[in-house]
Amino acid sequence: MTDSIERRRFLQAFGILGLAAAIEGVSGASKRLPAAVRLSRPGPDDPPIPNEAVQKIYDERFQGRTIQHGKVTLDMPTMAEDGRYVPVVIESELPMAADQYVKSVFLIVDHNPDPLVTAFHFTPAIGPVKLQTRIKMKRTSWIRAIAETSTGELWADYLKVETTLNGCG
Amino acid sequence: MPETGRTKIVVPDRIQRGDIIRVQVLVQHPMDTGFFRDANANLIPPWFIQDVRVRYGDAEVARFEWTSGISKDPMVSFQLRAEQEASLTFVSRDNRGNEYTGSTEIKFATT
Repeated sequence: MTDSIERRRFLQAFGILGLAAAIEGVSGASKRLPAAVRLSRPGPDDPPIPNEAVQKIYDERFQGRTIQHGKVTLDMPTMAEDGRYVPVVIESELPMAADQYVKSVFLIVDHNPDPLVTAFHFTPAIGPVKLQTRIKMKRTSWIRAIAETSTGELWADYLKVETTLNGCG
Repeated sequence: MPETGRTKIVVPDRIQRGDIIRVQVLVQHPMDTGFFRDANANLIPPWFIQDVRVRYGDAEVARFEWTSGISKDPMVSFQLRAEQEASLTFVSRDNRGNEYTGSTEIKFATT
């Protein structure tokens, strides 16, 4: 009698875990699609600040201001085979006009020795944000693309990129 | 033998006033992080571009902060409003104080 109740409890608990695992499996699979194939991205929660170096960048560059998710798109291969050359595309629908424009775009690789890999600073003479470059990655990491407008708003997009070959040394 | 600092700017062949054009810039530079070792196990010292200025005519239109996290032989592309016939200049400076310049002329198609 006791055994069967125990067994039922076990199955109930395991069944819930199993269902959760199945859902995670499905959403995990969708995240692994190549960037070009993803039509809508799963809305990941903002990744937590992982270390002091990234916290320092946030303190110095954003002074605790709210960073909203959206209006900027980060595209990278979700699996980067060579950490020495990882392509990055950053686009934004934010206006580029004399009275309101994207002042800066920051690219942060959480687990690189120097996480603020690059920062772009613009004037309105630059067209709508459509940036491409190639970066190095030390290991699997969250990547943050954060755009700052001339009015002080901060907009971000995040991607987790898996890397096997260390490109930083 | 690569020529360190050689800067190539690629813009569309045909530009009309007011176009938003893609500007692609390629710079030859080792972008050494300082963490890798050579064949004799000696650390290769850091050597990378850290400051980039984009000038269009008389104005500085963009500035980029780079680190050794930018790949060897850096590539960057961005969009520019072609509002005037003028030179477009890309000036990069590395952590050893070397300055490299590349330039192209923005000219409008006549027809």
